Amino acid sequence: MIRFDNVSKYYPTRFGPKYVLRDLNIDIPDDRDVAILGANGAGKSTMLRLLGGIDFPTSGKIKSDRFISWPLALTSGMQGKLTGRENVRFICRIHGVEANRDTEEFVKDFSELGDSFELPLNSYSSGMRSKYSFAVSMGFDFDTYLIDEILSVGDAGFRRKCEAAITNKRANANIILVSHNMDVLKRQCNAAILLAYGRADFYESVDQAIFRYQNL
Amino acid sequence: MKARSAFSIQKDVIFAIFIREMVTRFSSYTFGNIWLVLEPLLMMILFMFIFGARGRGAYGFVEAPVFIFSAFLTFRLLWNYTMRQNFGARNGTQGLLEYRQVRLFDVFLARSIIEGALFIVVGLIIAVGLVWLGYDPWPDDLLLVLGYCLVLWLFAASFGMLGCMLGSFAREIEKFISMMTMPLMFLSAVFFPMSIVPPQYWKYLTWNPILHAMELIREAWFVRYTSPVADLQYLLAFMLVFMALAMSTYRLSWRRVLAR
Repeated sequence: MIRFDNVSKYYPTRFGPKYVLRDLNIDIPDDRDVAILGANGAGKSTMLRLLGGIDFPTSGKIKSDRFISWPLALTSGMQGKLTGRENVRFICRIHGVEANRDTEEFVKDFSELGDSFELPLNSYSSGMRSKYSFAVSMGFDFDTYLIDEILSVGDAGFRRKCEAAITNKRANANIILVSHNMDVLKRQCNAAILLAYGRADFYESVDQAIFRYQNL
Repeated sequence: MKARSAFSIQKDVIFAIFIREMVTRFSSYTFGNIWLVLEPLLMMILFMFIFGARGRGAYGFVEAPVFIFSAFLTFRLLWNYTMRQNFGARNGTQGLLEYRQVRLFDVFLARSIIEGALFIVVGLIIAVGLVWLGYDPWPDDLLLVLGYCLVLWLFAASFGMLGCMLGSFAREIEKFISMMTMPLMFLSAVFFPMSIVPPQYWKYLTWNPILHAMELIREAWFVRYTSPVADLQYLLAFMLVFMALAMSTYRLSWRRVLAR
């Protein structure tokens, strides 16, 4: 269970505080895969950052007893000067994963990078990079995955593989997904949070939330 | 994922940042990590040459190269690098802070440890080189030198940390600190002992805590030198005040700094 307890978040601007989230009270059950819906600037990414523990509510608390991944976005947390392998090794180290060789090989296989895996990330094309990011995020076992728009990357074949991997992970973990691709949301999620007008509502049904979202 | 204690998480994170920094620092140079030693070595050779050419640097208690070695190593590697690396801790580490277990403080710790370790390793390498050339670079009172170095190192780390935290609110701090680096070298008794400075200027120069560190280290390094001004209590007080300031500034504002 991840519980938002009266969570508010604002950013100071020169026009005064700009509220992104205001007095949120939401429970995210462990067995639900949640889609986060909302217009641009409604606070979807902020919500993921709060869940990922790299940004903090201005007031209120987020309580959880789960291992939550870092927000998996396209370029997050990678060092361009290091090779693909070295970046994976770094992430293994900070997560206390001792079998880093296995993880490295998994990422190498999954990302289909071949020898480029041993080259610095700066030399990757954007397609290679997104495949790599996705492969890295699948290489670690979390209880909850925070996924920010990385399901819509790569060529059609790779995208199918990604969705299969996510479906696989959902067997013993849950995901919290931000995406503008409604089909992906419908396939992968069975609950939704709609962010609108500074409020957040939890929906048991994705279809209903998407309907509301499209008629905002 | 398995649950770890807070201590073991921090240990893992610091180790990971340590390796990452060591790999990336000189990765774009042809000679790579050889620059770790080469950079201070070249600077030192340059200064030894300038001093040697002018016939200066021997102040009666030691040969010029050893004098420069002792002063340059501590000022440059221990003070300057530790301070600068901590001060610039936010540059190039934004990506690190995408992980919840990595905090800015871990970057500070890892960088301070790297600089402290480099100080010792580079010092050893150059000292061995000096022995080979027939000098005697070893400190007369090694433990005391290391003790003073520890104080200077903590002072440098705290100073850099405080600068980094304040600098994220006002970038002007950055300009101020890079402006002060050069004069500080001349004001800190790096290339001369305080005994050759006329006594009427002592009261101005001794405001500077780094000068005290340099003089204390020199005193312990060369048993034949006695500093006329060195004051350990002054240095310790400065170090403790800066450390307290740095820690409390961090504690109070790390979330705001993270959001920037």
